[in-house]
Amino acid sequence: MSTTYDLAVIGGGVHGSTCALFAARGGMKVALIERGPLCREASGVNAGTLTMQMTRVALIPYALRAHAMWANASEWLGHDVGVVVCDGLSLAFTEQEEELLSFRAGKRREAGAPIELISGADALRVEPGISDKVRLAGYCKVDGYANAYLTGLAFRRALLGAGVDLMENTPASGIDREESGFAVKTATGVVRAKRVVLAGGVWIEPMLGWLGIDLPIKTLINQLVVTERVRPVMRTVVGIANGLLSLKQYPHGTVVIGGGWQGIGDRERGGVELMPDRIVGNVRLACHAIPELKDARVARAWAGLEAETADALPAAGPIPGIPDAYVCGSVHSGYTSGPYIARLLADRILGHEPALPLFPIDRLLNSGDAERGPQ
Amino acid sequence: MSHDVIILGAGPAGANAALAAAETGLKVALFDQQPEAGGQVWRAPLPGLALPASPEKAGGDALRARLAASSVDLRLGRTVWSVGAHFRLDALGPDGNETVEAPRLIAATGAHERVVPFPGWTLPGVIGLAAATVLLKSHGALPGQRVVVAGCGPLLAAVATGIVKMGGTVVAIVDLAGPGDWLRLLPALATQPRLLARGAGWALKLGGKRVPVHFRHGVRAALGADAVARVRLAPVDAQGAFTAGPEITLEADALTVGHGLVPGNELPRLFRTEQTFDRRRGGFVPVLDAFGRTSLDGLYACGDGAGLRGVLVAEAAGQLAGLACAHDAGALTAAAFAERTKAPAAAAAQARPFSDAMAGMMALRPAQVAAIPPETVVCRCEDVTRAEIEAAYDDGARDLNQMKQFTRCGMGPCQGRFCGDVAGEILAAKVGSREKVGTYTARPPLRPVPLADLMGSFDYGDIPIPRPAPL
Amino acid sequence: MAQETDGRPVVTISVDGAPLEARAGEMLTTALARSGLLRLRQSPRNGAPRGAFCHMGVCQECALHVDGAVRQACLTPVRAGMAVERRGVL
Repeated sequence: MSTTYDLAVIGGGVHGSTCALFAARGGMKVALIERGPLCREASGVNAGTLTMQMTRVALIPYALRAHAMWANASEWLGHDVGVVVCDGLSLAFTEQEEELLSFRAGKRREAGAPIELISGADALRVEPGISDKVRLAGYCKVDGYANAYLTGLAFRRALLGAGVDLMENTPASGIDREESGFAVKTATGVVRAKRVVLAGGVWIEPMLGWLGIDLPIKTLINQLVVTERVRPVMRTVVGIANGLLSLKQYPHGTVVIGGGWQGIGDRERGGVELMPDRIVGNVRLACHAIPELKDARVARAWAGLEAETADALPAAGPIPGIPDAYVCGSVHSGYTSGPYIARLLADRILGHEPALPLFPIDRLLNSGDAERGPQ
Repeated sequence: MSHDVIILGAGPAGANAALAAAETGLKVALFDQQPEAGGQVWRAPLPGLALPASPEKAGGDALRARLAASSVDLRLGRTVWSVGAHFRLDALGPDGNETVEAPRLIAATGAHERVVPFPGWTLPGVIGLAAATVLLKSHGALPGQRVVVAGCGPLLAAVATGIVKMGGTVVAIVDLAGPGDWLRLLPALATQPRLLARGAGWALKLGGKRVPVHFRHGVRAALGADAVARVRLAPVDAQGAFTAGPEITLEADALTVGHGLVPGNELPRLFRTEQTFDRRRGGFVPVLDAFGRTSLDGLYACGDGAGLRGVLVAEAAGQLAGLACAHDAGALTAAAFAERTKAPAAAAAQARPFSDAMAGMMALRPAQVAAIPPETVVCRCEDVTRAEIEAAYDDGARDLNQMKQFTRCGMGPCQGRFCGDVAGEILAAKVGSREKVGTYTARPPLRPVPLADLMGSFDYGDIPIPRPAPL
Repeated sequence: MAQETDGRPVVTISVDGAPLEARAGEMLTTALARSGLLRLRQSPRNGAPRGAFCHMGVCQECALHVDGAVRQACLTPVRAGMAVERRGVL
């Protein structure tokens, strides 16, 4: 183990993998350390939605650029990850939802998302599968979805192709600071590197703890449902005004129903249990939006983790007080925006000025622990 | 809590667990997908069907009578779709969704068939061997008019005899084992003289009909356009690998084929209890104490779903699990528990040599898996071939779940039940062991459920939509 | 292929729009097989014919539409007038 890497990335999800990939392509010798197989937590089991209409306003500029990355993934990643670019609709069924939608779509439009408000009748023309009870819809042509379970396969090939030393199934247990950089302790030995990126998703909190930094990260347990293959019932990505539904049908026929209804679990155990009442609630919402869906059968349900900082904005940038240490993750709807934000960080590590600002964590450390964000 | 114990599966194990627990005063809910108790072994004939008497029917009728006379809350014809901790179970029944809760849960979910793939195994007209027993015992139907009965284990003779009795023609019996393999088991089989005599009776009946038996042969391919029309056989060695020798082609309109059973252990897996790989027990099985307690407090498992041991052990194991529940719930003193468990423990011990011998005949033969041609479909739901599974290995997949993500193998509506064991074996041959390869993560629902049934009728305004995410 | 030993009434169901005689209460798989309807669906990628396989509600090969809803033929007893639609490639 005499090699000293230019960069060790800990955490092999979308953030860590993208960062490692672009750093390696920028000429660095990179090790990617992942406790399991690549992209098997949040990055492999999320709903794959690439929508602006569930993205936080502050992240819209990033999400738009990330969407473009996903849309041509075959070029920079060498695999299309099953990405389909299509129209997206966010639906309002009640007067209250109309108000919410108008406000939220307006804010997102101000941030650059090309969302128009259209009538229920017009929405039906965009998506013949939706219910005729729709009163108003947010309509965005920059939308789509990926096949999240292919993410690991895609990144694996790309990372190996870029010469990254892939250390899968290698849990890291700590980091020592040394004169020339960092010594990452893993189950199979010490990995030395001049720089480190902590990209562990919900595990960023304990990872930062190794360096003496206390950054609370909340773990969301998002429930998801997938149907068996059914005949085409929809052609767009469909959500609702408050963001608690995401719905799309893959080319092979399965329909994924998500929206962030919470199951039971935690960082240590993962998503351990689904709440049946919430599965029913989510399914009712889905069938209310796409009535034809009722004839499908649920094939599988599961829960995926999502990390959230106190202000629900990313932790992506240098770690204060520790030169050459970086953090990258906790991006709301991180699958959508992750590749772009991780690429910005890779740019910064390679000594280039990022095209858009990063999200340094200083703001979260200075404010103490009084506030947990606008919930 | 609506009950003291919930039992999933009303076969010999689950039904006996229910009776044993109920007799101590516990309030028991017993769930099954089938409309009648009995499981696969003691399956009830469909209403209105007059089928000839058989030991299975008699055994099943007796069990159903005891359940009917007991205090057990029978929930039959239910599709269980969610099982949560502490324990809450949701099932779809005639009146929509029903929820029960109890501090204890017994998994008695039985086994399903293993068929090691061969070209043509997906053709209509090719069915499982256990599937054939369902047709014969419960549906009163023949698998076809001219049937090839192939695979391994005691079901071969049972199915062939059933077909002959019902007036069908058995074109041939094709047994992976040889006569010598059966003879070697005689001492173990002789521990259950009644069952041995029954087996001998099957052999005599089949001999009288001059049914050809091809020992040490396997199915090389099922052939046909829209349904099976011909079955091609080839000789195999003791490990199940094809060997040089003349192939035999038979005309048939049905092929029933089975290579043992796989424990339906998804409940213990759902709760992530400790499990172990035991080839003779059919694959991955939960680690249990002598009374069926899993590593999770309050969760018990018994019967073939906890590891294949057959009906005799299942009955006893069910009683033991039911009594363990009663003891752990405080309904039985330690002394009464010790007294009452004596008989079933002895019965289980006595049945072991026979069940071990049978389980050995039905264990997965790795050489048979090695002989699956590359282009043969392994995952029926998603049309995933052996070559695609191996390509996933080449792409870095080292466990079943990673392979599933790379290929969709196991993502279909059977939820990996029919491909998991064989796909695991294919991957294990590359990775090194079944333990490393593991099992598909168990996910709810336990069976696919129509969204329409799940959601029932509702008003949009009543959906408890959570707070919106931050803008 | 059912044994002719039962006195269950003969009823008519429809399969893909065509009438089919069946016995009330018999399993739908049995009624279909008697008329040579072994192919119940086509496989998703190869479009290969598939029929009932496990007959115990596990394999899902016999899933089809009964009166509009997806049901497993091996768990569905015949009722007079039921409308059965076999599924194509899904």
